[in-house]
Amino acid sequence: MLMMDSARSHERSTVFDRMLAPVHRWIWSDANRRVQKLFRFGETETDGGRDILRAAEVTSDPLLRRLYLEHAIDEFRHGVLFRHRAAALLKASTSRSTPGFKGEWLAPGGHGLDDLQVDGESDCDMLAFLHLSEKAAASRFSIYRDVMEHDLPTRAIFEEILHDETFHMNYTLTQLVRVEPQRHSRHLWRARLSRLWKAYLRLATGLAGILGSTLLTIQYFVLLPPFAWLARRAARRERCGWTIVSSERSNSLERQY
Amino acid sequence: MNILGISAHYHDSAAALVVDGVPACAVQEERLSRHKGDAAFPLMAVEACLQQTGIEPDELDAVVFYERPMLKFDRVLTCSLRAFPQSWRAFPKAMKNLLGEKVWMRGIISSHLGVPGRKILFTEHHQSHAATAFLTAPTRHAAIMTADAVGEWATLSVGDGERQSNGPTRIRRFREIRFPHSLGMLYSTFTAYLGFKVNEDEYKVMGLAAYGRPTMLEQVRRVIHSTPDGAFALDLDYFEFHTTAERSYSSRFVDLLGPPRRPYEPIDLSTAEGRRFADCAASVQLVLEDTLVELARALQRETGLTDLCLGGGVALNGVANARLLAESGFERIFVPPAPGDAGCAIGAALYCDRIHFGNPDRDLPDHPFWGPAVDGSELARLAREDGHFAEELQDGALIDQVADDLAADRIVGWMEGALEFGPRALGHRSIFAAPHTAEMRDRLNREIKYREPFRPFAPVVPIEAATRYFDIPEGGVRLARFMSGVFPVRKEWRSQLGAITHVDGTARVQVLEASMAPRLHALLGAYGQRTGIPVLLNTSFNLAGEPIVNRAVEGYSTFLRCKIDVLVAGGTRLRKRTSTMENTQSERTKEQVA
Repeated sequence: MLMMDSARSHERSTVFDRMLAPVHRWIWSDANRRVQKLFRFGETETDGGRDILRAAEVTSDPLLRRLYLEHAIDEFRHGVLFRHRAAALLKASTSRSTPGFKGEWLAPGGHGLDDLQVDGESDCDMLAFLHLSEKAAASRFSIYRDVMEHDLPTRAIFEEILHDETFHMNYTLTQLVRVEPQRHSRHLWRARLSRLWKAYLRLATGLAGILGSTLLTIQYFVLLPPFAWLARRAARRERCGWTIVSSERSNSLERQY
Repeated sequence: MNILGISAHYHDSAAALVVDGVPACAVQEERLSRHKGDAAFPLMAVEACLQQTGIEPDELDAVVFYERPMLKFDRVLTCSLRAFPQSWRAFPKAMKNLLGEKVWMRGIISSHLGVPGRKILFTEHHQSHAATAFLTAPTRHAAIMTADAVGEWATLSVGDGERQSNGPTRIRRFREIRFPHSLGMLYSTFTAYLGFKVNEDEYKVMGLAAYGRPTMLEQVRRVIHSTPDGAFALDLDYFEFHTTAERSYSSRFVDLLGPPRRPYEPIDLSTAEGRRFADCAASVQLVLEDTLVELARALQRETGLTDLCLGGGVALNGVANARLLAESGFERIFVPPAPGDAGCAIGAALYCDRIHFGNPDRDLPDHPFWGPAVDGSELARLAREDGHFAEELQDGALIDQVADDLAADRIVGWMEGALEFGPRALGHRSIFAAPHTAEMRDRLNREIKYREPFRPFAPVVPIEAATRYFDIPEGGVRLARFMSGVFPVRKEWRSQLGAITHVDGTARVQVLEASMAPRLHALLGAYGQRTGIPVLLNTSFNLAGEPIVNRAVEGYSTFLRCKIDVLVAGGTRLRKRTSTMENTQSERTKEQVA
């Protein structure tokens, strides 16, 4: 009962998410953006389902195997719900364009987004990780449900998924306590830190990616033009059709060229 | 001599271990990592190969990567330069992608396996395809044609191969067609245009083609034309794959063929739009076939040989393969079970053994079963833990029981022996069902495979009965060994083979020799005794978006998530006692938690 109450409290969004409510409202107000995000959620849920399915296949605990399997089936179903809704919205929309801003960085931090090595995780770590992921997703989904007054069918989907998340949050915590009665809090803290670290890594990788792209783009426009001119001139001289393969070309397996 | 072949980083990575000239293990990374089309460095596959053979990394004489990374880098950079300035978006992505990891293969392999750099070798991409096609085929002297999207620069190559028993081997490539002119890219562009996933859903285009008529032939022929020397060239104004990463076709392509299909929108063949997409698929399919037939005819005339070994992803097109057999002048066509990039792992290792080290030729076992073996006792244990009853039976009893199941219209998940290498389930990780009615096809599509209704299912038939039910030409049996050809179902049997007869009256049939899979052969016989028709529907044992199962536990979890009625792993048989076994289990689990 205590567990249920705790889970229900998480159907409410966090303070941070509530602060971002106007941004979420703006993102979801556009039908095209909604379609893109729903498709993305569909993929995330399905990916998460696969991870959990894998967890079901590698665990040696029969009860956990059954629970993970249930969980995975739910996630697959959520994926289908999101995809079908997105497809329905797409069918109803007349535009074929994709919005410039998709608000991807605001997507829920579900397990599908983390680089999860299921095969190497212990049951405790997996349960702690899942519990926190479900909690974070539930918080984010509850704000999405709240800002979706203008689209009742999509709101109903979030509502339905939130209901499942309650079960997922419950069982992951209950099972964590069962599997590791003494040290379950330690596992939860470790999972929190791990999520934080992964969030930092995602941010750092994202920033490094932007930096790298910027530098490469500058190089592209500054350094490449003369080589581009040469390459195009050479391409004009190339003729279509067969190119003879010289017998010497492939002789050595030692070179990478 | 122990040689490890590796294929990675594009799509569907794999590892293969050749010991004393014979493959000892070959497995795709996706089957172990459980990520469909996994392109990552195949560490799990390598480990599986080493574990299966008991070989340590320091006992490897060579590790061969299936292409030359620097040559590929050269192509990507050159294409970016040629497309300047349109390539400004693609350039940073491509450079990060290649320079971040892919060009440093020697270091990557060395760090993962701990083998010295001098033992790491590289074949060319199409050389690997050619070796896979020729060295695994039971022929001594054959012409070789390889075709895919792109390797380093080559997209299609022709040549020949010759090997003498216990003697030297020779593989020659005469000439090649180079990027961006590519049959694979042409087909992939149409795959994207028709709203399917590139590098994954090309076979859907082939399936859809049967529903259409080639009414857009003229338009498709505008985007690809023959060159005076007998090759072909794409009209690059219709394409963008060589300049951007975002889209493979240009606005001109859309002007020519009409608006593309949006992914997720179902294809409704009763509408004009749905028929347009089917016609488009039929048209590009016909152009692909015509082009391949022309190229193969010229090769046959040039070499005067009767055998053709076909490699590369394009060789997965069973309809085109059947036309090649009928019209190219070759009497036999050999397509390996894994003609795509994954198969290059085996080809690279064999090439290294026969050509680089000059080891004498050896005849190879003619089957696709090179992966890890399934353990039936694992299924028995899982079932016991979940409170289900699994029978452990001897072969004869098991076959009788499963034949009864199939005759009673039950769907059977079947796992035995070593895992197949390649995209087709050829009887070791298969779902079997009665092939007689269209209802069974619809049931499989709806309840198990969750896939588009226009996609056909394949049959498996014992070699002794193949020509009774299927119109297989001379030489076709070879093509059908690994499900590489599409042949007509004989008219008189179509009504009784409704689940596997495609809309155009054909089927991608697997013709089974008893020596390749004796238990399955016996099962076909037993099923034939019960129903009068020794043919089964054979589809891969996986659900949509998932790789084919490997271990018993993966088969078991698949079995619980869909409407497969019976699961067999080794000698263990598990049957869903009621149609609501999943629901019962679900309720019980939730009760336990509560």
